Amino acid sequence: MDDSASQLKKFQKELSAGTVSLVLLAVLGGSRQPLYGYQIAKRLEELGEGALAGKQSALYPVLRNLEAAGLLDSEVQPSVSGPPRRYYRITKPGREALRAWTDAWNATRDSVDKVLQGEL
Amino acid sequence: MAVPRTIEEYLGQLRAALRGADPALIQDALYDAEEHLRAELAEQPGRSEADMLQQVVGSYGAPDEVAEIYRDQEIKIQRALRPPPPPKRRSLAGRFFGVAVDPRTYGALFYLLLSLASGIFYFTWVTVGLSLSAGLSVLIVGLLVVVLFFTTVRVLSLMEGRIVEAMLGVRMPRRPVYPRPGRSLLQRIGAMFTDVHTWTTLCYMWLMLPLGVIYFSVMVTLLGLTVGFLGMPLAMLVHPDWLQGLYVHHMFNVDWGSGPHVPGWGDAVAMSVVGLLLLFGTLHLARALGRLHGAIAKHMLVPRQSDPEA
Repeated sequence: MDDSASQLKKFQKELSAGTVSLVLLAVLGGSRQPLYGYQIAKRLEELGEGALAGKQSALYPVLRNLEAAGLLDSEVQPSVSGPPRRYYRITKPGREALRAWTDAWNATRDSVDKVLQGEL
Repeated sequence: MAVPRTIEEYLGQLRAALRGADPALIQDALYDAEEHLRAELAEQPGRSEADMLQQVVGSYGAPDEVAEIYRDQEIKIQRALRPPPPPKRRSLAGRFFGVAVDPRTYGALFYLLLSLASGIFYFTWVTVGLSLSAGLSVLIVGLLVVVLFFTTVRVLSLMEGRIVEAMLGVRMPRRPVYPRPGRSLLQRIGAMFTDVHTWTTLCYMWLMLPLGVIYFSVMVTLLGLTVGFLGMPLAMLVHPDWLQGLYVHHMFNVDWGSGPHVPGWGDAVAMSVVGLLLLFGTLHLARALGRLHGAIAKHMLVPRQSDPEA
């Protein structure tokens, strides 16, 4: 039992490794105004179970690296109540990447679904 | 590990859990955690810090879990974003000539040439800023200048870190040190002055001038010599009569130690071989200097996070 739980955890970790970048890009791509890390974490929290329900601390390094790759842009703004926040927005290369990644995701999901439904 | 009751405690535990990791990684991880925790705290003002942290350990992760995630991510990202390391070459010749296909070599070379300009800029900025701050500090307005100056130094330090990481391939912080909240202006100024990191940063910027002059001169001299030697066969093609005044006295001499003579094709080829060796030697030197400078920058620009006050 313990063994299969840890295997599931490992599988979820591997599954989330690639999808988190896509999800973060999509969240920022679909948002009219820039978002800060905590806000994104809270939005994803509402999604519930699955590979994305991991620890929120995993989001920040991904955001930073998407920014380093030029797909996101960020700036720090003071907030009325509370600490200054780092707001992220998607860039033009980011939108292009999002389109390409979405296609890749759709293709992968379709073929995985086919295999799981026994059409192979 | 006990459940932390204050943000300070949480960060302390995270710092402890990350002990031994790259200081730049620690700085980034602490910044992210502090940003998240303070946002969480501001979300529900009525809740106590301890209650909030109890919940955060579930959503954001306990300090040791977070440390694990950051260590993990760092390895993965290093692999994904960095150009693949050049294949290890065993043979002596392979190692000697392999330097030409290492992307780091050219980053280092470019950095060394740029360092004269950046060195002059940093030196001027620090010298002017320090003397202006010292001179004006007798006035109330001077305090503002002091604070502004030290803030720009922090920004410059972060920027230089980005340049060093991009060109020399040394992991540097991507986020500044999170400012301690709830401190008065005077306390902040005091903290800036007692922070060793401020002074090492200033020293680094001052040091960049002599280092930049040395790096630049050495590199330009070696590259100039290299081009000159390599270009010998090309120069041989130019007949002394074609371009009047190209050579002093319409001719040039070569002296290998056995008396000067007018060079023939043998000399030209020999010199271009020397030039070729010099070229690869220069590239090796550039890469080595780049590595050395990366170590210097890391030491002086990244605060030691084991020090709880840093």
